[in-house]
Amino acid sequence: MHRGWLRSSTARLALLYLCGVVVGVSALLWTVYLLTQRAMDSQVDLVIHTEIESLREDYRGGGPQRLVEVLDQRVDDWGRLGAVYLLVDSQGAQLAGNLSSWPHVLAPQGEWREFEISANEHGREVTHPVRAALVNLGGNRLLVGTDLSERRRFMARLRTTTIWGIALTAVFMALTGWWFSRRVAGRVRGVAQACESIISGNLTRRLPLDRSFDEFDQLAGAVNIMLDRIEQQTAAVRTTFNSAAHDLRGPLHRIRARLEAGLQAAPAAVSSLGIEATLADLDRVQHTLAMLLQIAQAEAGGGSAQETIDVAQMARELCELYAPEARERGINLAIHALRPALICGHQQLLAQLCTNLLENAIKYVPGGGHVELQVRATPYNVTLTVSDDGPGIPLAARANMLLPFRRLERDAAAPGSGLGLSLVAAVVRLHHGQLELTDNGPGLRVCCSFPAIAH
Amino acid sequence: MQILLVEDDAEAARHVGSGLREAGYGVQTCADGQQGRAAAQAAQFDLLIIDRMLPYLDGLSLIAELRAQGVRTPVLVLSALGTVDERVEGLRAGGDDYLVKPFALAELLARVEALLRRASGDVRHVGVLRVADLELNVLARRVSRGGREIALTAKEFQLLEYLLRRVDQVVTRTMLLEAVWNLHFDPQTNLIDVHISRLRQAIDRGFANPLLHTIRGSGYVIKDSGSAP
Repeated sequence: MHRGWLRSSTARLALLYLCGVVVGVSALLWTVYLLTQRAMDSQVDLVIHTEIESLREDYRGGGPQRLVEVLDQRVDDWGRLGAVYLLVDSQGAQLAGNLSSWPHVLAPQGEWREFEISANEHGREVTHPVRAALVNLGGNRLLVGTDLSERRRFMARLRTTTIWGIALTAVFMALTGWWFSRRVAGRVRGVAQACESIISGNLTRRLPLDRSFDEFDQLAGAVNIMLDRIEQQTAAVRTTFNSAAHDLRGPLHRIRARLEAGLQAAPAAVSSLGIEATLADLDRVQHTLAMLLQIAQAEAGGGSAQETIDVAQMARELCELYAPEARERGINLAIHALRPALICGHQQLLAQLCTNLLENAIKYVPGGGHVELQVRATPYNVTLTVSDDGPGIPLAARANMLLPFRRLERDAAAPGSGLGLSLVAAVVRLHHGQLELTDNGPGLRVCCSFPAIAH
Repeated sequence: MQILLVEDDAEAARHVGSGLREAGYGVQTCADGQQGRAAAQAAQFDLLIIDRMLPYLDGLSLIAELRAQGVRTPVLVLSALGTVDERVEGLRAGGDDYLVKPFALAELLARVEALLRRASGDVRHVGVLRVADLELNVLARRVSRGGREIALTAKEFQLLEYLLRRVDQVVTRTMLLEAVWNLHFDPQTNLIDVHISRLRQAIDRGFANPLLHTIRGSGYVIKDSGSAP
């Protein structure tokens, strides 16, 4: 059991169950104990009563003389086990019985007396508890009782047994609960680990099955079937995109080859201008295609293994790459990314994300404007923020801008594919991050936050 | 220099083949993976250009097979699949460089030259790189021209070092983006031009003999054009 095991719902359930069972078993056994005690007590009283009635009959029939005879005979015969008798006259002198003297009674209750007598057994002084009833028979007092030692011993044994029963039940329940909780928690943990691995891009991983066909197994089986279908679909999308890439790039390549050949064969000014413009268009088509493929790759899980990336360093390098371009356009490009900001991710896709945001900002901010790139790291996440004081994006259009090929009407004339922010969104999703477009008052602020690497 | 071109797209093969021949290379063309394997085993080539998607035996398997047989000839992989991942796969399978279709012929020629020079040990690995009166000390990280110290930013220094290790060799924009900035995709704007012009300002301004030249439609080259004493 590790720290925080009480957070496990099965452990809590087992503990609750344990408490319930222990309370139930205790109540049951204690009731049995009390009922047994009462039954034994009333049996003792009944036996004494019956004997007194019988002795009263003897007294009525034969007077004190007869009573003494009967008592002496009963004492000699050891008739009733643990029986105690004492008959005294009005002066207190013993007439018959197996008690030598009138006992010292602490608290008389009506006709009932409880006291202790001492006896010498095998050279030892032993006390016996006794319960007895007192009757007056024509001036003589008769005490008829029962030695309770045996019953007390029996009740003590019963009490011990009851307590042990409760304790053993508790221990057994605790062990069962612990085993059950561990078993269930272990299976849930296995499922959770498999899920995490799948979420982080390992699409071939499946939930563990133990062929027990219990609810867990059925659930895992159902989830696995679901994962199979997702994997098939992802593979189908990938194949489709690969085929599309291949089928589009082949013809594009031939078009480029012919144009280049034409350019070399007839470098006359007019035709070459047309050809150069066509080649430039071809570049744009190629760029759009590349972006679409990157989006598809990001949505399909990114593929290649992730590595540790310092977002701050990446931002600094890209900022340096764009600095001359920004300066030429008269834009102030500033960066705040001093401390390392480590995340686990795909280097090229993250670089493309950062590049797209910078390109957008530099493209839309007019001369004299400001673009700021900021990277912040907390122990939990890393945020990359690109903010500008350009025209911004109206609130109503922001969510739409993340979909492919959406552009503002305002920007229709500006070059661009309408894929930049879609790629940003896809890369953020791939890295389990969050993307926020907000008003920079004036301008646009794009904030991407990613989970930091746990230290 | 003998080059083996394995490409199933006949027109593309013709175009690339004629471009290479015009540039002075001997070219043999194969249309599928099995033919390519047979050709590569039959004769000694200086460079293999292999398309990734080939009939009968795909490009990556062909490269892996040749590498397993101990063929050390440099390989340029051509592909219509251009995502970062597929690049990595291509290089991991034993390719030395990767070019995504459609590419400009100039880009291909620059890469071919770079690979051939690298294979012949022509990339300079010395600590002090010189061309004409320009000198770059890799260890001291200092640059001077005609004895006068030139201050460069870290990236400008890296850019110049990359060019100086490949004197007289055309280097394309994408080669620079890959080598200096580690970016394997094309940003839309012509960022490299701006960086090159800044570097040119730093090393060529005030000197009669410019060293850093732009080759229109291809890229850049650093060379001593000979007008200096």
